[in-house]
Amino acid sequence: MSVNVLPDRHAASAAAPRTEPRRSRRGSSFQKRQSFAGALFVLPFLVIVILFLALPLGYALWLSLHSESLAFGTRFTGFDQYVHVFKDPEFRDGLWRVIRFGIVQIPIMLGLALVAALALDAINSRVARLFRLIAFMPYAVPVVIGALMWGFLYSRTFGPFAGVGQLFGGGSVNFFGGHLLLVALGNVVTWAWTGYNMIVLYSALQGLPREMYEAAVVDGASPIQIAWHVKVPAIRQAISLAAIFTVIGTMQFFNEPAILARFAPDIDAGYTPNLYAYSQAFRFGAFNYSAATSFALGLTVFVLSYAYVFLTRRRAARP
Amino acid sequence: MRKTLRPVPARRTRWLVAILVTVAALASACGGGSSANGSDSSGSGPVHIKVWAWYPEFKGVVDAFNASHKDVQVDWTNVGTGPDQYAKLKTAFKAGSGAPDVAMVEFQEVPSFIILNQLVDMGKYGANDDKAMYADWAWKQATDGNKVYAIPVDGGPMALMYRKDLFDKYKIPVPTTWAEYAADAEKIKAADPNAYIASFGKDGGWINGLMWQAGCRPYGYSQAKAKDQVTVKLTDPACEKVMDFYGDLVNRGLMAKDPFFTADATAALDKGKYWTWAAAGWTPGYLAGSLKQTAGKWAVAPMPQWTAGEDAQGDWGGSTFVVTTQSKHPKEATIVARELFGGSKAAWDIGLNKAFLYPLVKNVAADPAFTEKSYPFFNGQKVNEIFVPVSNSLGEFQYTPFQDYVFTTLNDLSAEALAGKRPWNTVLEETQKKVVAYAEQQGFKVQQ
Amino acid sequence: MSATTSAGVKPRTRLAHAIMGLGMLYFAVPLVWIVIAATKSQPDLLSTPALWFGHGFDLVANLKQLFREDDGVYGRWLVNTAVYSGLSALGATTLCALAGYGLARFTFPGKRLLESALLGMIMVPGTALVLPTYLLLSHIHLVNTMWAVILPSLLSPFCTYLVRVYIAESVPVELLEAARMDRAGELRIFLQVVLPMIKPVIVTVFLFTLVATWNNYFLPLVMLSESKLYPLTVGLTTWFNTAQQEAGTRVLFNLITTGSLVAIVPLIIAFLMLQRFWRSGLSSGSLK
Repeated sequence: MSVNVLPDRHAASAAAPRTEPRRSRRGSSFQKRQSFAGALFVLPFLVIVILFLALPLGYALWLSLHSESLAFGTRFTGFDQYVHVFKDPEFRDGLWRVIRFGIVQIPIMLGLALVAALALDAINSRVARLFRLIAFMPYAVPVVIGALMWGFLYSRTFGPFAGVGQLFGGGSVNFFGGHLLLVALGNVVTWAWTGYNMIVLYSALQGLPREMYEAAVVDGASPIQIAWHVKVPAIRQAISLAAIFTVIGTMQFFNEPAILARFAPDIDAGYTPNLYAYSQAFRFGAFNYSAATSFALGLTVFVLSYAYVFLTRRRAARP
Repeated sequence: MRKTLRPVPARRTRWLVAILVTVAALASACGGGSSANGSDSSGSGPVHIKVWAWYPEFKGVVDAFNASHKDVQVDWTNVGTGPDQYAKLKTAFKAGSGAPDVAMVEFQEVPSFIILNQLVDMGKYGANDDKAMYADWAWKQATDGNKVYAIPVDGGPMALMYRKDLFDKYKIPVPTTWAEYAADAEKIKAADPNAYIASFGKDGGWINGLMWQAGCRPYGYSQAKAKDQVTVKLTDPACEKVMDFYGDLVNRGLMAKDPFFTADATAALDKGKYWTWAAAGWTPGYLAGSLKQTAGKWAVAPMPQWTAGEDAQGDWGGSTFVVTTQSKHPKEATIVARELFGGSKAAWDIGLNKAFLYPLVKNVAADPAFTEKSYPFFNGQKVNEIFVPVSNSLGEFQYTPFQDYVFTTLNDLSAEALAGKRPWNTVLEETQKKVVAYAEQQGFKVQQ
Repeated sequence: MSATTSAGVKPRTRLAHAIMGLGMLYFAVPLVWIVIAATKSQPDLLSTPALWFGHGFDLVANLKQLFREDDGVYGRWLVNTAVYSGLSALGATTLCALAGYGLARFTFPGKRLLESALLGMIMVPGTALVLPTYLLLSHIHLVNTMWAVILPSLLSPFCTYLVRVYIAESVPVELLEAARMDRAGELRIFLQVVLPMIKPVIVTVFLFTLVATWNNYFLPLVMLSESKLYPLTVGLTTWFNTAQQEAGTRVLFNLITTGSLVAIVPLIIAFLMLQRFWRSGLSSGSLK
């Protein structure tokens, strides 16, 4: 029924209704005025996009096509920097680390968010409403401060958790070391974002028409069956969208590692690709290489996201 | 047209908007707008020099300077400690504006800034006259031939801090050689299985100081002599023996693996987890305020030697003032760099007694007020009697113009060794390889 | 909307409630911790158990020290944060609302390009833009001013996207055409017909950009080199680094905890006050 406004590549717009205004019978001058008005509405936004997105991006691209050398200054090197980045073991380690992190953390977080959203949709008690509010509160906490708080909580000096290990006969737990570090980071991210994703999915659920599952209720289906077989498929797109944005966010993982690096020296300069790009620019002054790293990361994210969208649209399009 | 009633929340929103706009207007009016970086000179008033530094208790030093200098006034900002400030400096250099007149730069970073050609040669403004004032090794690190790129302020001559009460209690001898140190490590483990003689904190400056003491001179660079030639000799036996020694202690479980300078580390020191710390002249101040439970139980001894009877020493850290080429008043900025601390009694009063800096000004360090100072934290010991001779005996030690990269690589490889993923005797070898590759990529010819 | 099914649901509800209780505990623990920590003095922070109170109740003392430290710079950070976020959110919301409307209800050359670019814009990592933006802004001497933080924050493709879809779903074309037949100007139509209808998404977008700028750390960190201009995120981190570096000479950890608490409170209040708006705003048709 819908005329797709956005090109087919975008899954989210699959169900968008018609948005083109009906052709008026008044003729082309009216359309021209309409066109002009439309352009004017969009203009301020466009200006900002050009000034603070297109221009910096262009400049960063230009930077990445050059190489700096401490002894001799900067010269044009085409795509050499990119070759260097993709061969750089620190970049690859960081990328692999982020992927590993995402594979574990994202399903857990989205799974929790989905279950919570479904529960909230089914139950409307005071407890549920309180839960909804408290689960969302971490979103209001600046990431930097949240990371600081967790840093304190994980610390053996300030926090309550490290001592738990002693209860079980071991030494105090070091949340900042080795494998536990990734888990600790995953926890911070889950704490901060589950509530937000939960609200997004819950809103989608709330928008579902009741008739959709009233039939199932009449048939005697349990709430869990309804949830799994009716509701979840109905909000497939919201889940998809949440997943995409989460994946993009995870690939660009920066804030929490950057702050927790003060607590955990194991977080080195290239712990995540984004942190690597930052370190290159701001610690080693390698601005050109940093730009190339950012672009390489962006490219990887872009390719992965579009691949994901492409694959899911294909599956959706199949009858 | 549909008439809509304005519901209450919208009114609240408009009110909020009005408040924000008012606040914004006030903020702009009160100087939230464009601020001048670098100095400002209206023909008749004093010249304002912008200084970036993170010394503790620095405000008093700035006030003292401003009170005693009528034509030059200092505007100080703390833009971050160490790497954070260097990041801002490098960005400002790249952008061509935004750098301060004077900045605090640690010794190991000075060549990195020299090579960016962003430092003013203060010799042109008379700084060479200060040569005799400062410890020789410091002056050498701050200068390149005849050019004075930095004015030394404080240093970190190294010595061994140890828990005298525990050493006495368990009759462990204070080590005078590293061999004795290793033996003590075993004794300590026997005395308390949960304790360690020390921790191997992943800190480039720390291990560098220890290597310095061992006679290792791994780096060489002089822009004046050859701007594209650098020496990197990390696999020198004098350097390797340090890594091997500590790696061995870590492998045998006699040294802990905790990092330095975190709240956890300080707490561990206070709870008796480590009985020694090979630390520097600024450590007493650093710890005095935070180790409450073990205050008075620590003492300082000269660093253990590699060969009995020798007197080899090392330095960990230290800082200087530099003047940037973006300064519009290099002459006044040089005055600031030379006299903020320099020979100022008022400044060193604060520097010594409140900030606990180790002074590199020879007569301040030699002053009985400093050498005879007894520290309650060290049970009244006059620790500077140990630190001062250390500083006096230090020789030349150069750094590379990419020292941050070197230390970061060294730390990362040490981390691998600490985690058991790399044999200790390959750490320096691998660092050498990576640093050489990096240097060559940066256009240097490397002497190994 | 509640699914009040048969009485057989009750035991499951109790189970669900129990799990929600655990969930609330999980989400609340750091917040509870920070409230308790803010009442402790520095020595207490280091020595008393984390999740219960210390030997005294030092919240007032902490607050006093918080606002006095470093010549009262914390108060300045608080005002800065409010101003930066407020102005950015206002500006961004205005731009998004106008652009979202333009995209939803008009045709003009290049519109398709812009729409398809919109989702792509969201995928650009913000951290990649900061450095080139810094270099560009320094050419016009805007760095180290509040505008260096506010102007880049006006960019919010995600909000434009939200507004566009909401308008497409909720503002019938017929209404606009009727208004046009009444010879009303386009801007007037927007302000008097469209805006009132899309209040939920506007408030959502405003809150979203407010939170994003309030939380922003990296952008102000790079752009600003003067303590007086810092927002709370940068200021508190600076104190924290100082506290670690100078453990002996500066008593700061208690200020960081108290300061963090004070930093969180305004946003939480804002969320509580504007609850009904952001809940319905997020449920816009975009997510169906």
